Amino acid sequence: MQKQQEFINLIKENEGVIFKVTLVYTFNEEDQKDLYQEIVYQLWKSYDSFRGDAKISTWMYRIALNTAITNLKKEKRKGVRVPIDYSLVSKIDQIDTLMDDRIKLLYNHIKRLNTVEKGIVLLYLEGKSYDEIATISGFSETNVGTRLNRIKQKLKSQIKK
Amino acid sequence: MELEELRNEWQEMSKEIENQKILTDKLIIDMTQNKFNNKLKSISIPETIGTFVCFAIAILILINFSKLDTWYLQVSGLFSALFYIILPILSLKTIYGMKRIDISQGNYKDSLEIFAKNKMQFIKVQKWSYYLSFVLVIICLPVASKLIKGTDILLESAVWLWYLPFVFAFLYFFSKWVFKKYKGASNSAEELLKELDLT
Repeated sequence: MQKQQEFINLIKENEGVIFKVTLVYTFNEEDQKDLYQEIVYQLWKSYDSFRGDAKISTWMYRIALNTAITNLKKEKRKGVRVPIDYSLVSKIDQIDTLMDDRIKLLYNHIKRLNTVEKGIVLLYLEGKSYDEIATISGFSETNVGTRLNRIKQKLKSQIKK
Repeated sequence: MELEELRNEWQEMSKEIENQKILTDKLIIDMTQNKFNNKLKSISIPETIGTFVCFAIAILILINFSKLDTWYLQVSGLFSALFYIILPILSLKTIYGMKRIDISQGNYKDSLEIFAKNKMQFIKVQKWSYYLSFVLVIICLPVASKLIKGTDILLESAVWLWYLPFVFAFLYFFSKWVFKKYKGASNSAEELLKELDLT
């Protein structure tokens, strides 16, 4: 019970992080909700592996990003669906109204980056240091820097168009 | 707009998102207990149903194998049964392989690499399944005819006169379609692997 309560508190404290990951890796609300549930489920499943042996945000981003990429392109598959609680739907709607046009535009540009770049730029925007990005992503710090430079150029040219 | 500026704006937005506390204890517990079905979790239903159908046909052929009374019918029957068993198993194995990535282990790069490699493997198996299914289309006709009607279609019917040209014409267009269908997916997996190798 204590473990479960700890986990609930952890998710509540970081619900925004999960939300932002789902926003970058999905293209519609339904997929976003599905991915959100799946990330929470995967976090719970691997909660024991986290406890104490890694920084909490590192663990959380790693699981969330890994879940997002292993579910890439599944959107075409149809499955049985039980509707999730409406509160998550309303969260998506509320946050949608919070984002100003520039941020919405930014999200659209990030979605057009390739899968590797999406993960790196998301961690960068989240305020992670090169060292943390390297730990979460598995790329070296130098490589992260090189990739971020390329992403900058790419976003610039995308925004200009 | 510079990336640094975007980061500042992003963090402003993040603060607002963090303030929107929506999740309830019950909702989180339900998610951890996997109470919600969603399409991400959906096991490949068509593939699973198809596998059972194929197994049923293979069992039917093997049970009635004694009815196949010539060497070519026996060879065709044996290969048909093998195809019906092996192809769906291979297909399901690669699908489950893609789902079986251990999310808690490995970083983003490792997971992407495994995902892309599994995807390439899946595409290869699917392509071969399509091509081999053509051999099956040819060899299962005499077997089916013998088992259902009791006639040896090779000796007693002129069906081959139209069946073979039709199958080969179909094979030509179908192969082109298969190649086109998987080219895009295969390219994107290859690109992902190339992207991971960039230093």
